[in-house]
Amino acid sequence: MHCPRAARDPSTAAETLKSDGRRPSPQEAASCGWTGRGGLPRDPLAVRRRRAGIVFTLPVVTLVGILLLYPIAQTVYHSFTVWDGITSHWVGTATYSQLFAKPEFVQVLENNALLVLSIPVAIAFPLGVAFLIQSKLRGWRFFRSVFFLPTAVSWVVIAYVGIRFFADDGILQHLLNGVGLGFWHPNMLSNERSALIAVMITFVWSMFGTNLIIFLAGMATVDQELYDAARVDGAGSFTVLTKITIPLLRRFIQFAFIVTLIAAFTALFSLIFVMTSGGPGYGTTTLEFFIYEQAFQTGDFGLASTAGVILFLAVAAVGLMQLRFFKGED
Amino acid sequence: MVELRAEPEGRGWRHYGSRAVVYALLALITVVMLYPFYYMGINSVRSLDQYYAGHGFSLASWRNLFHTLPIGRQLLNSTIITLSAIAIILAVSTTGGYAFAVLRYRASRLVFVAIVAAMMVPIQSIIAPEFVNLAHWGFINHRYGAILVYAALGAPFATFLMTVYFQRIPVDVVEAALIDGLGYGRIFFRIMLPLAVPAMATIAVLQFIFVWDDLLVGLLFLQNPDVRPITVGLATIPSQHLLDIPLLMAGSLISALPAVIVYLLFQRYLMSGLTMGISK
Repeated sequence: MHCPRAARDPSTAAETLKSDGRRPSPQEAASCGWTGRGGLPRDPLAVRRRRAGIVFTLPVVTLVGILLLYPIAQTVYHSFTVWDGITSHWVGTATYSQLFAKPEFVQVLENNALLVLSIPVAIAFPLGVAFLIQSKLRGWRFFRSVFFLPTAVSWVVIAYVGIRFFADDGILQHLLNGVGLGFWHPNMLSNERSALIAVMITFVWSMFGTNLIIFLAGMATVDQELYDAARVDGAGSFTVLTKITIPLLRRFIQFAFIVTLIAAFTALFSLIFVMTSGGPGYGTTTLEFFIYEQAFQTGDFGLASTAGVILFLAVAAVGLMQLRFFKGED
Repeated sequence: MVELRAEPEGRGWRHYGSRAVVYALLALITVVMLYPFYYMGINSVRSLDQYYAGHGFSLASWRNLFHTLPIGRQLLNSTIITLSAIAIILAVSTTGGYAFAVLRYRASRLVFVAIVAAMMVPIQSIIAPEFVNLAHWGFINHRYGAILVYAALGAPFATFLMTVYFQRIPVDVVEAALIDGLGYGRIFFRIMLPLAVPAMATIAVLQFIFVWDDLLVGLLFLQNPDVRPITVGLATIPSQHLLDIPLLMAGSLISALPAVIVYLLFQRYLMSGLTMGISK
């Protein structure tokens, strides 16, 4: 529809309307951005605000649109194609059945499922420790800083030390030798399952601080009088933990679960790249690493996109749960 | 005024005994958390022979490191890439957050939802088309390519945070400024931006650590060692050096140090960023 210039310039709006000889219909007015009653601009400020609003959103929309939203649409499209990065042709849903028919992909999904099993451990430890240091324990800030420190360190660095920890002549073996278990050589990185467990242990270690901070923030919201009342009633520490702390922290525990799950699925690339390269075999190839391998080692961009959609769906499902927390309780 | 508080009954040795157990446990966890840093430090100041022998000190590995990797150059690349990405993220998230919170227009809610939804796009999911697009535009092997990708990855959460932050500023503030004759642009620069400094600090610290520590984006989009950040340089150290543990530990230490310093200086911003959105 043709919008008179006046629609965008409130100072001359009235004149243009007179010379035009008619008032626009409300529908016309709305599509021209005239939101005021009777098709007249509500007030010059509203038009200015709207214009400023669009100008101020433009940078973030451009950046995110071109570099995140457009590529995810491309990923979805190419997930149905055979694509080598240059030419692609449409195949349809067969690409998905081909992907799931691959035994190595099934193992990849299994690895991700096993990673999920490490989450309860990654939550239980910091929850217990948060419970111990909540009550204004002297020096708790120091401990909090120390425990959160791994969060600041790159997975690449953690992985190099991790190799030295789990290697056959590494720190773990020295510890075993020290306690008289020197006959046992777990050599964890050389076996598919134990290598994945090594990745999981490293993951739990590095998530400790993050979840501790979440739980400490949660415990700060619990009314101290509840604890005092429970103590007066003769409740022991364990009863307080299970009957008061954990129920009141339900929201924070769910939040920690989601944060940990998203980290497990999308943040371990560098750790796996340096520590195990996804091996031995496909032992530590998780979904995110599989995508990288398919695209940049095998050159199969189409299959990488198909797997990319699976990862996106998994993260989006978890992300939708997270929205609940941003909106607040219930 | 001095307040004397009697210890409740039953808080005698048993109380202090349990305190001691708690401290012992915390000390144990401290050792577990800090040991890797001790390990890096002690082994980086040994030569390879001294590492195998388990004693002695030398700076040979540090000298080796500077011959193996362009350390200075890669530290500079990391700094340029990290700070530029942070600058872009702050620019687009404050303007966007201001618009979504204060300058609402028709469909602005929808645009906001689209930006927030982009938080759920993992970089791995889009890595193939992103690579093809950047290659098509000639952005591969240029720092600005990686900078823009990092900026896009950080922008959705930052914009969400800024929107929530600006929403908490009372409407009266904006209305009073309008009455005083300020335009929406001036309101942003003179009133909103100064108020947003704490939230901007949180975003900056979160993003510094994320970008500095990241591997994947730099690995794929910056393939020339001269434009690579230090984390990528360390992860792709030529394989003949992979058995030179002291060298690796020296490299690990120097690449970790800047992010650790930022953490130690600004950790309260980092921690508040983590719990933002859940604790009110």
